[in-house]
Amino acid sequence: MAKVTREMVEKAGVDVKKLVELLVKNAAAELTTFYYYTILRVNLIGLEGEGLKEIAETARIEDRNHFEALVPRIYELGGKLPDDMKEFHDLSACPPARLPKNLKDVKAILKVLVEAERCAVRGYTHICNLTAGKDHRTYDLAMAILNEEIEHESWFSEFLGEGPSGHYLRRGETSPFVSKFLK
Amino acid sequence: MRIFTKKELAKFNGKNNPSVYIAYKGYVYDVSSSFLWQNGEHQAYHNAGKDLTILLKDAPHGEEMIFKFPVVGILKD
Repeated sequence: MAKVTREMVEKAGVDVKKLVELLVKNAAAELTTFYYYTILRVNLIGLEGEGLKEIAETARIEDRNHFEALVPRIYELGGKLPDDMKEFHDLSACPPARLPKNLKDVKAILKVLVEAERCAVRGYTHICNLTAGKDHRTYDLAMAILNEEIEHESWFSEFLGEGPSGHYLRRGETSPFVSKFLK
Repeated sequence: MRIFTKKELAKFNGKNNPSVYIAYKGYVYDVSSSFLWQNGEHQAYHNAGKDLTILLKDAPHGEEMIFKFPVVGILKD
């Protein structure tokens, strides 16, 4: 634990215990999403599904990166990950992004993907609001993750016909915002 | 429709009761089916069995997320 780090955040008026709990919940959401997106991605097949596979894969890898980036902050603030993986899964900040019943329904898969991203956007917006001007490092991390989650939402939203994302596919490296926390 | 006092609503906090209820703008909602209200807790900061009307203004979502759940009663002041 980084004692002075925690002290500074507490002095700024943040309930560190609750913040750490929230960070653990979001770390669980990222890792479980990585798992569920693996299943969703492999089922994105055929004429409709194949074109979505690449963005689903990018979102999957970036969600795993978010998990990796969150973990050090949890421990710096005196928190820890649960010993039990099942417990970790069940405390996720977002519901499981389970495969829809009809595997051939690409639109249903897209809806699962976009809802997962929307949950994440809400979650990191909340963390940014809680830490803005108080816990600079957590704010910076949550903001970086939020930037990527917003892009993921807009990609899937575009394919659902909700309007243009304004983006193009990632070229080369993943996690343009979060990568600084992974070095 | 069932009338709840705040004391009665507090019994549905998810700790000793499988039914998890919250109140919003005078109505009591059953959120027991929600993954995000397991054990009566929501996103580390909120507990069930309470009136959350004031707290919603700071939430990263609107009241539409509450309206998805069934109304099971009315909250009496």
